[in-house]
Amino acid sequence: MTAVRAILFVPELALVLAMPPMLMSVIAKTKAWFGGRVGPPWLQPYYDLHKLIQKHAVYSKTTTWVFRAGPIVSLAALLTAATLIPVLSNESLMGFSGDVILLAYLLALGRMFTVLAAMDTGSSFEGMGASREVTFGAMSEPALFLAFVVMAVATKSLQLSEMIGPGLLLEWRIAGPAMILVAGALFVVLLTETCRVPVDDPATHLELTMIHEVMVLDHSGPEFAFITYGIALKFTLLGSILIHAAIPHSQEIGLFGSTLRIAELGVLAVLVGVVESATARLRLNRIPMFLAGATVLSAIAVVLVLMRRTG
Amino acid sequence: MLRSVMDSILILAALLNLAMLATSRMAACIRTFAVQSLLLALLPVAVGFSHDAAPGVHVFAIAAGTMGLKVLLIPWILLRVLRSGEIHREVEPFIGFTASVLLGALIIVASFAFADGMPLPSRAPTDLLVPVAVATLFNGLLILVSRAKAITQVLGYLVVENGVFVFGLLLLDQTPALVELGILLDLFVGVFIMGIVVYHIRREFDHMDTHLLDALRES
Amino acid sequence: MHVLLIVVPVIFAAACIALPGPRLRLASLVLGCAAHLGVTIWSWSAGFGGKVDLFFGIEPLGHLFVSLMSVLFAATSVYFVGYHRKALLSQRIFLACMLALLASLSAVCLSRHLGVLWVAMETASLTATPLIYFRLSARSLEATWKFLLMNSVGIALALLGVFCIAVAASETEPVLSLVWSDLILRAGELNVVWLRAGFLLALVGFGAKMGLSPLHSWKPDAYGEAPPPVAALLSGGMTLGAFIGILRILQICSAAGLADFAGGWLVVFGLLSIATAAVFVVGNNDYRRIFAYTSVEHMGVMVIGVGLGHGGSYASMLHALHNTLNKGVLFFMAGFFWRLYKSNRVSDVRGALHHHPVAGVLFLGGLCATCGLPPFGMFFSELGIVFAAAQRAQWWVLGLFLLTLCIVFVGVMTAMLPMVFGPPPEKLDSVRGDEERWRSIAMLTPAALLLLAAFVFGAYQPAFLRDALCAAAATLQPPATASLAAVPRGMEVLP
Repeated sequence: MTAVRAILFVPELALVLAMPPMLMSVIAKTKAWFGGRVGPPWLQPYYDLHKLIQKHAVYSKTTTWVFRAGPIVSLAALLTAATLIPVLSNESLMGFSGDVILLAYLLALGRMFTVLAAMDTGSSFEGMGASREVTFGAMSEPALFLAFVVMAVATKSLQLSEMIGPGLLLEWRIAGPAMILVAGALFVVLLTETCRVPVDDPATHLELTMIHEVMVLDHSGPEFAFITYGIALKFTLLGSILIHAAIPHSQEIGLFGSTLRIAELGVLAVLVGVVESATARLRLNRIPMFLAGATVLSAIAVVLVLMRRTG
Repeated sequence: MLRSVMDSILILAALLNLAMLATSRMAACIRTFAVQSLLLALLPVAVGFSHDAAPGVHVFAIAAGTMGLKVLLIPWILLRVLRSGEIHREVEPFIGFTASVLLGALIIVASFAFADGMPLPSRAPTDLLVPVAVATLFNGLLILVSRAKAITQVLGYLVVENGVFVFGLLLLDQTPALVELGILLDLFVGVFIMGIVVYHIRREFDHMDTHLLDALRES
Repeated sequence: MHVLLIVVPVIFAAACIALPGPRLRLASLVLGCAAHLGVTIWSWSAGFGGKVDLFFGIEPLGHLFVSLMSVLFAATSVYFVGYHRKALLSQRIFLACMLALLASLSAVCLSRHLGVLWVAMETASLTATPLIYFRLSARSLEATWKFLLMNSVGIALALLGVFCIAVAASETEPVLSLVWSDLILRAGELNVVWLRAGFLLALVGFGAKMGLSPLHSWKPDAYGEAPPPVAALLSGGMTLGAFIGILRILQICSAAGLADFAGGWLVVFGLLSIATAAVFVVGNNDYRRIFAYTSVEHMGVMVIGVGLGHGGSYASMLHALHNTLNKGVLFFMAGFFWRLYKSNRVSDVRGALHHHPVAGVLFLGGLCATCGLPPFGMFFSELGIVFAAAQRAQWWVLGLFLLTLCIVFVGVMTAMLPMVFGPPPEKLDSVRGDEERWRSIAMLTPAALLLLAAFVFGAYQPAFLRDALCAAAATLQPPATASLAAVPRGMEVLP
């Protein structure tokens, strides 16, 4: 049975893994449209990855194995996470009860190795980026997990694919305001975790203002390809959690649902592009407030849902 | 459906408290207050329609009164006072912005816990009325004590009033319109006088910081 | 006809605004207060107690308090004629606000609906604001701001308390009325949890207005910076208005069987207030601020009295009466001293008895009355509270009460006695000229009359006064025990 399920998942997973660079392309095109430009070709992210894979990596003499392991471990962690998160259907490949906890540790593991690799270079810029990454990561995590608490309480499950599955349809009907708050918090988490404006600017060229980009300055060749692909995959995965929570599909929607999910992911990418075009980056000292705001939204949603349960 | 709308309005109003705590520009703060009041002004009508009988005239009177005073007139007065030559338009908090937002959120969560412990004796239009009222009240007090400028203190007082207003919706059918309008009128005159006093403070001291109002103390 | 008590001052306030000359306006102030006093006296002789309408009505407690205010305002209006020199704030606005304050305080006392009571109370604090800003100086501005903000926030909490009580009543009756006499009748059906919350909020809210610690901090500032006649009105009149707000809710609570709960909190707030006064009176060098702290103390005494109940309620009413008379005397004299010595500092005022014997005697009398020396009435009211505490075997309350009162006594006397005795400082202007003499008479006569009243009512209590106080105290008892005979129990030694 498991084997059959695994085989059936092969095409879906292949699509999921092929999609992330395309979503980045959608964001880039949106931003270009806002700027009145044509923008890079649709397949440009794929060309970039192809180019990077063919190159050789250059290593600084001061680095150790940690630097080389960083990109690989983070990508591995994200790929494992991809088996736990439902993207195109309502089910995940390896979902089990309590897998949110594993997901949490996978995301943390990936982050930890990226940070360690950055610190391993001994560069002060990368150390600064690492410090920021850890700070903002620590602030966005409570928001994500309080959002998970809301959905766990609502669906009485600890399996991610059920937590953001059809069970939420009922919750939207009886506790709509709480779910709106959750969706808002998840959107902020998405922007933070994937280094988008207004928290971080992926297109910036000044090291002092960078957060994520500055950490990966020393990576090159295939390893930089892993990092670029990893961030796109993270966007796809967290985006899926968001749209599954925001727009639960009922169980019997079938194959049409998968098409719809792809469209929804595309819309989400456009939305992020609009946000990036319309807002400026926050001042660094205002970002904690932005993230605290997301945490607060989640916390209030938790209170609302719990109140509904007890009252 | 109506209940969902009411809940959304109330939660949004509670979140606007946090927005006020987070804003560093005073004009933006005042506008946020106006938006909050606008949301709250819609509530009497929603509550009125949530009962079986058709809403009475006084529901609309209260909504219109709130709209006219708290959404238009009072923010206009405050903005005018603000504009009358004041240079420093930053809020100047005693407690930092992030800390006050977290404190405000804590207050909101605590108010829900409080409301859970005090069940209403009669059926309310929505369960959120009491917690949001208490949360708004205490957030108003927080703004009041944690901000240096006289005008932000007025704003804090107004937010406290908004909290009391939300609580008053529980008793919408029962209080005479005359009393409600009396309350509104008193509020307006109070803010009007406060506006005058703030103007005088600015003229007298060349700023609106109340922490420099410390001439009066025990000798 | 009780509406006359509210309408008459409003009419004269309008006249104050309309009349052209400053003299005419002053006349209107005096006439307005006198007319109010006249209506009050008439109301006692005619006894229109039974007639009520939806929002207003006369009952013993409100009648007593409105009469006290009426006397105080009448005395103050005469005093103000002598005190007033140059108009800093527009005289028109000032006098109109004074009369409007009288009207709104009367409305507070007469209101039967808790919502109306609240609206009237808020109006009172708004009309008092321009009065405090009389001098238009930076210091008075600061005092005004603190007064306005503390009172507004306090009164907002009080409104929440009123709403809580309305919620408590909504259990049984779909359409409720916030008329307190109805609430007392149905007190058994009220939801206890919400009633408690309502009481506490109202106690804090009205307490801020009354000047109970810990929300008293506006009081020394406002009383110190407002012109003394205004301070007299605030400390003797407006505090009573706030007190009546607390009492109305206390009545509902004790009818609902919460007398012990409410009483306990009242005693706590009262003791805290007296202790605060004790701390700040000692070593203070501003005599008007010292008077403000004695006001905090007296509010504490009144609140403890009603908190203890029975004999304590009666003592509290007696204390309210003497507080009004006494605060009038003290602040009138404070204003007079300011004219004589041009200073608010205790250390600048010396030898008043020598410099101006009449003022010195009046001031000394006022001091003795404040500190509760017999035969002034406060001695008996405080004694009554001691008896009430002893009767209820609350020895801790009794001990703390006596201890803090003694500290206040020592603090006030050590600061103030040198003001009266000893040689006056040199180079002081003495009262000269017809106008000055006439002004002194206008300022000292009301003080003398109030002091005389305090003396007489302390030494000998006429039957009508005793009946009025007993009737007012009786309304504060739970209905079961409310009989006239039960009230003065333990007070046999009182005149």
